[in-house]
Amino acid sequence: MTTKPKILLVDDEQAITANLSPFLGRSGFVVTVAADGEEALRQVSSFRPDLIVLDILMPKLDGREALRRLRQAGNWTPVILLTQVGESTERAMALEEGADDYLNKPFDPHELVARIRAVLRRVRPGQPPLASAQRLACGDLILDRQARRVFAASEELRLTPKAVALLEYMMTHPDELLTRDRLLDVVWGWDYPTGTRTVDTRIAELRRVLNDDPAQPRYIETVPGQGYRFVGGVEVVP
Amino acid sequence: MRWRRCSVALIPVAAGLVVASLFTQVSALPNPIIYVHVDVGTAALLAGLALSILAAAGLVSWEWKRWRCEQRIAGVRTQAAEERRRFLQRLDHEMKNPLTAIRAGLANLANGLSPATQEEALASVEAQVLRLSQLTADLRKLAELETRALERVPVDVAELLQEAVALAQEQPEAAGRRLTLVLPQAPWPMPDVPGDWDLVFLAAYNLLDNALKFTRPGDTVEVRAFEDGTFVAIEVADTGPGIPEEEVPRVWEELYRGQGARGVPGSGLGLALVRATVERHGGQVTLRSRAGQGTVVTMRLPARLRPDRFPRVSS
Repeated sequence: MTTKPKILLVDDEQAITANLSPFLGRSGFVVTVAADGEEALRQVSSFRPDLIVLDILMPKLDGREALRRLRQAGNWTPVILLTQVGESTERAMALEEGADDYLNKPFDPHELVARIRAVLRRVRPGQPPLASAQRLACGDLILDRQARRVFAASEELRLTPKAVALLEYMMTHPDELLTRDRLLDVVWGWDYPTGTRTVDTRIAELRRVLNDDPAQPRYIETVPGQGYRFVGGVEVVP
Repeated sequence: MRWRRCSVALIPVAAGLVVASLFTQVSALPNPIIYVHVDVGTAALLAGLALSILAAAGLVSWEWKRWRCEQRIAGVRTQAAEERRRFLQRLDHEMKNPLTAIRAGLANLANGLSPATQEEALASVEAQVLRLSQLTADLRKLAELETRALERVPVDVAELLQEAVALAQEQPEAAGRRLTLVLPQAPWPMPDVPGDWDLVFLAAYNLLDNALKFTRPGDTVEVRAFEDGTFVAIEVADTGPGIPEEEVPRVWEELYRGQGARGVPGSGLGLALVRATVERHGGQVTLRSRAGQGTVVTMRLPARLRPDRFPRVSS
């Protein structure tokens, strides 16, 4: 029998931690709570969590700064950020700072549990996560995250900014079933009444530009009735 | 500004001096045709008087303009304050109902009910919580629309509308409506619109969704688009019940719900989102309606004049 994963839940809103903590406990995790960034950093060294759920807006030390300090210290404990305002800039920042995933408030607690499990499954102990890499590669496809540029066989591809953001999220979450709703939430940050088509249109653009055949995908696989999955092996480009 | 007014008072003095010196020169010259004899003091006095009148008139008109301008600013401020007050009132109203339902639901749950009624109470509380979540999500969209970076890609309006109409046709509200799309074919196709494909699609779809929601079976909903100078106009027209004249100016306000909208699901943020989207793209929105006859909503978006960096988005 494996031991239960340890989760550090960091949020200054007591109403949230008081309800989420027992929920996560019942979902099979051992949970410790911290109320701000400073306390979280202390807990990281004493409690040694397997994953941190980190709110952004907090007193003393906010989630963003706490995450940065953690990564600067070479600590690669997986982090799921809870973005408060849902601003698109905040979402972009979350991935840049090396968060493994992020979730917009208000969220469904079941969704948080699903994300925690997905991140834990993907984790490579002691190694920097894909989400903290500047450049990612899948075969001859290279994504330069900072420059927001995509290359195939050293040739630059012309993609819309939204398509680049979508590709970025998919490449940092390979082998994971990504539902259209989730892609909408993390890449667009909005729920559209027209949701599924919005995602499908951009996936179609990616496939066309990447020259990826949906019947025999090298990169993006359609999971019928559910969503998409990035099936190519993703590596960090040093 | 004060020094300007002081300097105005100096004009008659300066003018008097100039006229006085002119007359000394003129009377010194031989002039057989016109003979003017005014003594220097009177001339200076008259000139000063005339210029004083002119200066005073200038001052009065300047003050008048300033007063009018201040009045206009005050008017805009009052209007903004009034809109804010109405917005808060509507927000309060939008939240009151779900919150009341949640409190009642929780009270029922605390009373230890049979499993069946307990389930019912839970479901109702959850539905109300989702309703509030939807409201905050919509409000966030509106706030974000003003600041978020817009993607600017060439949007093919004809294709976008075809897709929006196809999607609308699948909705249950479309049952029994005649939904048509009119696009110009000659002499040339419409120019693209530089913009955020997702947002323009959402705006067009919102209008279409509204038209379907507020019409009855048998009504016609017509979507059309055409080139209009340097703009592309997108219109959604319907033969629905129309909007009372006094409500028309308000329909673009956040959370506004007209009399006819009671009982139709929605937050009252749809048209506000359409307006914010179109304005972010540098366009305008207008709504014309006749009670009993129908409504036409027009979005005008600046057309693309130069080729862009990004490829066209199409499916």
